Amino acid sequence: MNTVASSSAAGMGVEIDDVQSGALRPRPVPYEGKFVFLRVDDRHAGRALLRRLLPVTAGGLPDVDRSQDAWVALAFTYQGLRALGVPQESLDSFPRAFREGMAARAELIGDVGESAPAHWEAPFGTGDVHIALSALSSDAAQLDRELERARVAYEDTPGVQVIWQQEVHQLPTGRTTFGFRDGISHPNIEGVGLPGSNPQEAPIKAGEFILGYPDETGSLPPMPSPDVLGRNGTYAAVRKIHTNVAAWRQYLRANTSSAEEEALLAAKMVGRWPSGAPLTLTPEHDDPELAADPHRNNNFLYRENDDRGFRCPAGAHIRRTNPRDSTIIGDARMHRLIRRGTTYGPPLPEGVLEDDGADRGLVGVFLGAHLERQFEFIKAEWVNDGNFIGYPGEKDPVAGHHGGTGSVTIPEKPVRRRLRNLPSFVVTRGGEYCFVPGLRALRWLAELED
Amino acid sequence: MTATTGATQAHPERPGRSDGVCNEFTVFTKIKPGHADALREDLAAMADAAADESVHAALRQIGTLHDARHVIFDNDTRFMFASVFDGSWDTYIDDFAQTVVGARFDKVFSHSEGFPGVTDPGVKDWFVAHQEPAGVFVSAYPDLTVQQIYKDHRVEEAFEAVLDTAEFRAALDNPANAELLATPAFQKLLEEAAA
Repeated sequence: MNTVASSSAAGMGVEIDDVQSGALRPRPVPYEGKFVFLRVDDRHAGRALLRRLLPVTAGGLPDVDRSQDAWVALAFTYQGLRALGVPQESLDSFPRAFREGMAARAELIGDVGESAPAHWEAPFGTGDVHIALSALSSDAAQLDRELERARVAYEDTPGVQVIWQQEVHQLPTGRTTFGFRDGISHPNIEGVGLPGSNPQEAPIKAGEFILGYPDETGSLPPMPSPDVLGRNGTYAAVRKIHTNVAAWRQYLRANTSSAEEEALLAAKMVGRWPSGAPLTLTPEHDDPELAADPHRNNNFLYRENDDRGFRCPAGAHIRRTNPRDSTIIGDARMHRLIRRGTTYGPPLPEGVLEDDGADRGLVGVFLGAHLERQFEFIKAEWVNDGNFIGYPGEKDPVAGHHGGTGSVTIPEKPVRRRLRNLPSFVVTRGGEYCFVPGLRALRWLAELED
Repeated sequence: MTATTGATQAHPERPGRSDGVCNEFTVFTKIKPGHADALREDLAAMADAAADESVHAALRQIGTLHDARHVIFDNDTRFMFASVFDGSWDTYIDDFAQTVVGARFDKVFSHSEGFPGVTDPGVKDWFVAHQEPAGVFVSAYPDLTVQQIYKDHRVEEAFEAVLDTAEFRAALDNPANAELLATPAFQKLLEEAAA
């Protein structure tokens, strides 16, 4: 096993080759991808499927050989592990949030109103989603080859049903449906050997992202038993988010009086310009050159130059969800995530302000060793409340569910701007909490007996 | 942190620590044998939404209580009441007796051994006898009384409302106001207005 030496005092290397590539490898740019949900109706069939999928499932870091640049990852819901016949004692050892599933936690994480599980797209939240297979590649042909291998495996396994599929791909603009480049930020994880995207971010303990290693508290993250199942695994919150692009554009138009103001207001809500250039580094105008430079486009902190948010508002989406060194209540390093946003659906053509009825948005995957302290905390405290930045009750302007009554404060001299009556620009169409086992753990699952 | 003094000078020295204007008051009592369930029911009734409204109204009326909690512990044998209040200990107890909170206090403490009743002349001595001063007491806002917090909240809401008016923005741009705007006092206000 190829381990990368860690710089930690414990000297613990992360067994990268045992960690699924889907967990640690940053999303390629551009990308093609697909999510497939499977239901296991018979545990023996489920295990047989895992044995067929094992050779298709990739571990480790990016291959220098670009022709190998496609990977399949497997993740399991609590119901899925149960359907595979994982012993009850082991099932009970998983953390509560995972056992309950995302639908049961909807109120806590703010999936209410039109985003409530009652309105979710089937089979999200029904308990039928057992295995979530995802495939990503920088190249459509490579993706097809990998998917074909996976497809043969699950279609040749009676007792296992494909119940949902979603293709995702980068739009020709290289941007999300809202028109912003994403996928820029990736944490600096100790002992993994992948550079973080922010050179100013001190390495974060591997245990924040991978089970079996110390986390920022100095302890091992709670791990399911037996050890072989938990080690080198992680958790993924998978969400399908519909974006109301027309509502977004209409709101921007209605609250500005020129195209320039409109662009600035949008950037203030996101925290980056459409190119991806951060407001903190270029507060007045977009800078595509800066955005294209991976050494610069995420190389910033907030406290020294922008503590009060005159460049990037404290309430902006990227600052809320990754406050870096901002003055906030709490410790930002305890709430880092690996984010994998992927886009689905057709873009709303540029300049169109009326909704065309198409389904578009993103399938987001949020990875970390602590569902509650990371994904759920960020949703409940940072996205859905503003107390931590001194604006109690104010939500993330982009990702919050506002229901027409939201507000957002944009610091400005001499007087701050406060926008009111924000509608929701996103609607949760569904989500699942998944466990992403290491490769040895996958084999353990495949070889369960009874 | 010092012992309670100042406003309480007209009264005997009372136990309890203070931090700035905030004082702590904690009493521990013995629950009468067999009364724990009845006490629990009384607390549940106090915690329900309908009662909640009248109590918050009463707290507004008293105007000196920051927070309070009632806790049953030690296997249903003991009871704790803990609170933080402004000003004089004696006024605090007197005020309680006179509001809807007093009646609730009476009911809740009636399950404790030896409680004489909240209107009894000896009630303060009883509380003192059961009070346990904190080893440490800190307030996040030692300079703010409940009344000041209410006022600050009103001022903040009014201030934010002014900031949202076009007239205020126009006034900032009006050269006639330049002198006022340049004063340190107004600059302080604008500091707060910017974020």
